[in-house]
Amino acid sequence: MIAIEGLAKAFFGARLAKPVSSWRRAERVRVQAVSNIGFHAADGAITGLLGPNGAGKTTTLRVLAGLIEPDAGRLSVDGIDVVQAPRAALARMGVLSDARGLYPRLSARENIVYYGRLQGLGRDAAQARAEALAEMLDMRPLLERRTEGFSQGERMKTALARALVHDPANIVLDEPTNGLDVLATRALRDSLRWLRTPEGGAKCIVFSTHIMQEVERLCDRVVVVSQGHTVAAGSVAELLAQTGQNDFEEAFVRLAFGDAAASAHPPRSALRTAVAAGAIDG
Amino acid sequence: MDSVRAVATVLVKELLDALRDRRTLVTVLLSSVLLGPLVLVAVSSLVAALEVTAERREVYVAGADRSPTLINFFERQTYTVKAAPPDYEAALRSARLADPVVVVPADVEAALMRGEGPVIEVVSDSSNQRSQSSARRIERLLEGFSRERSTISLALRGVSNELLAPIHIETRDLANPQSRATQFTGMLPFFVMMAVLYGALNAALDTTAGERERGSLEPLLMNPAERWALVVGKWGAVSGISMLIAVLSSLSFMPAQWLLRSDTLAALFRYGPREASLFLVVLLPFAAALSAVLMAAAIRCRTFKEAQASAAVVVLVVSLLPLVTVLNPGAEAPWQLWIPALAQNALMTRVLKGEAMDPAAVLIPLGVCTALTIVGVWYVARTLRSAALR
Repeated sequence: MIAIEGLAKAFFGARLAKPVSSWRRAERVRVQAVSNIGFHAADGAITGLLGPNGAGKTTTLRVLAGLIEPDAGRLSVDGIDVVQAPRAALARMGVLSDARGLYPRLSARENIVYYGRLQGLGRDAAQARAEALAEMLDMRPLLERRTEGFSQGERMKTALARALVHDPANIVLDEPTNGLDVLATRALRDSLRWLRTPEGGAKCIVFSTHIMQEVERLCDRVVVVSQGHTVAAGSVAELLAQTGQNDFEEAFVRLAFGDAAASAHPPRSALRTAVAAGAIDG
Repeated sequence: MDSVRAVATVLVKELLDALRDRRTLVTVLLSSVLLGPLVLVAVSSLVAALEVTAERREVYVAGADRSPTLINFFERQTYTVKAAPPDYEAALRSARLADPVVVVPADVEAALMRGEGPVIEVVSDSSNQRSQSSARRIERLLEGFSRERSTISLALRGVSNELLAPIHIETRDLANPQSRATQFTGMLPFFVMMAVLYGALNAALDTTAGERERGSLEPLLMNPAERWALVVGKWGAVSGISMLIAVLSSLSFMPAQWLLRSDTLAALFRYGPREASLFLVVLLPFAAALSAVLMAAAIRCRTFKEAQASAAVVVLVVSLLPLVTVLNPGAEAPWQLWIPALAQNALMTRVLKGEAMDPAAVLIPLGVCTALTIVGVWYVARTLRSAALR
């Protein structure tokens, strides 16, 4: 189970284009990437973190993975505080981050086993997990190939297997379908659904996305974030009921950008903020 | 215990990764490990060529028929007199002719008889190295002729030979054979240091900036391993490769000395297991420190290419520092032992000269290298997390 409460994080981003005076360096812009994000993700369920670009999704997941220290807020994974015991929390999480670089000179199996060893598995246990994950993700023919020249889908599978090598109870995925074709996306969805079931381990799965269809098809629960705030949470049906809409996209636009966006054009201010935050939160 | 295992895991993976990069590895092996021995062999053939000219006892004369006295002297000194080619000036300039030319003026015999002191030219080109080295020999030969003439004419007038040489000059050379050889082998330490540097370079950049460029650093940090353990593992692999190159290039001079063309140099250049192991005592800590410094220089860079620019500064410093001894010849100053690269260069030169190594000379550079390593690894570990995000 993953619980986040009142998370806030600001960055000093890129410098202004023009300095205040000609001889001083331009000041950095302070960007409030996350202001107040909080949600609970239960075991045996898929929780979608849905928000426009720059809403603070990637920052939230990076804080959860212990890469960034939060300014405020509490994060816990199975009751372990992420800020106080980041390594213990990481041992209970499998994170597929935005960056999915593999080692091109190593085979897919070696990439997976390397992470297994770093997670503290023995050599044989790591090998066995690589086999099992290859079976689950349908990537057995890839195992012995060097990863250079892998397609996007093959890369994603390898990176996912690498993140799941220690059989974590919690799985965190940052925009996992980015750059995947229809078949690869479907295969990923099937894998996630299976991991949610009791046979698959009843994992707690959190994934971030900005794609509505993804959420509609997969998520038990949706957390809508916008401009660094959690603006709504519930199942797809609940969110539709809350906004009085039939179309989930329309419901999302209302939740994320406010009722003023009923005209299907988001207000300019929201767009501008999203773009500014996007400079650091790609 | 967990951290030790993480260090070992990262070390094994990075070594495997680096050894799979065959093309880079082969290039480094060929260019750095073979370069030193090749230079040694090239120097030895130059020395051999000089020795052959010295032994040949030939003298090129323009206008040999004008002075039978001089030619007679040359022949009595067992020299073979050869006629200089008519275009000897051009030949000397273009280095076609390796020997200086003695130019005899037209009426030299008559001038000698009258005691007018005729001018005999020795023509050489100082930019033509080979003619320059034998010019000195020919000058001495002519001085001998001059001395003989004066001795004879004074002896005829009843002056004692003793009076003509009131003092006797004897030279005593204190240099032992090995230190004489360092005139020729002085650049070897430089080549060995470059080999160590290039051995570390690629792996150091690949495990830091390369990891960032591939986007594999962020996922790596999402493992529950300590950051310092990851960095120590990476550093261990980089310095391991660099040390391997150090061992290979230190050992490569042992077979290289069998190929020496010059007998004199072969007799002077003593490089056996003792010298090789002293080289390693000097080089292994240096390889460790260089690896840490290169990684620290590269971790701030987003791409491999950017990192190459930063690393170029390190390469430049390492290759320029030993030049201090060239610009500032003479005794090696104690402070030089505190400067990395300069100290290693000085110590390896000492080894080649066959000089004794005192404990301070070994311990000071070892301490400096250890400190550099710790600072470098600490800096990389500190920067790693912020580097992963940008």
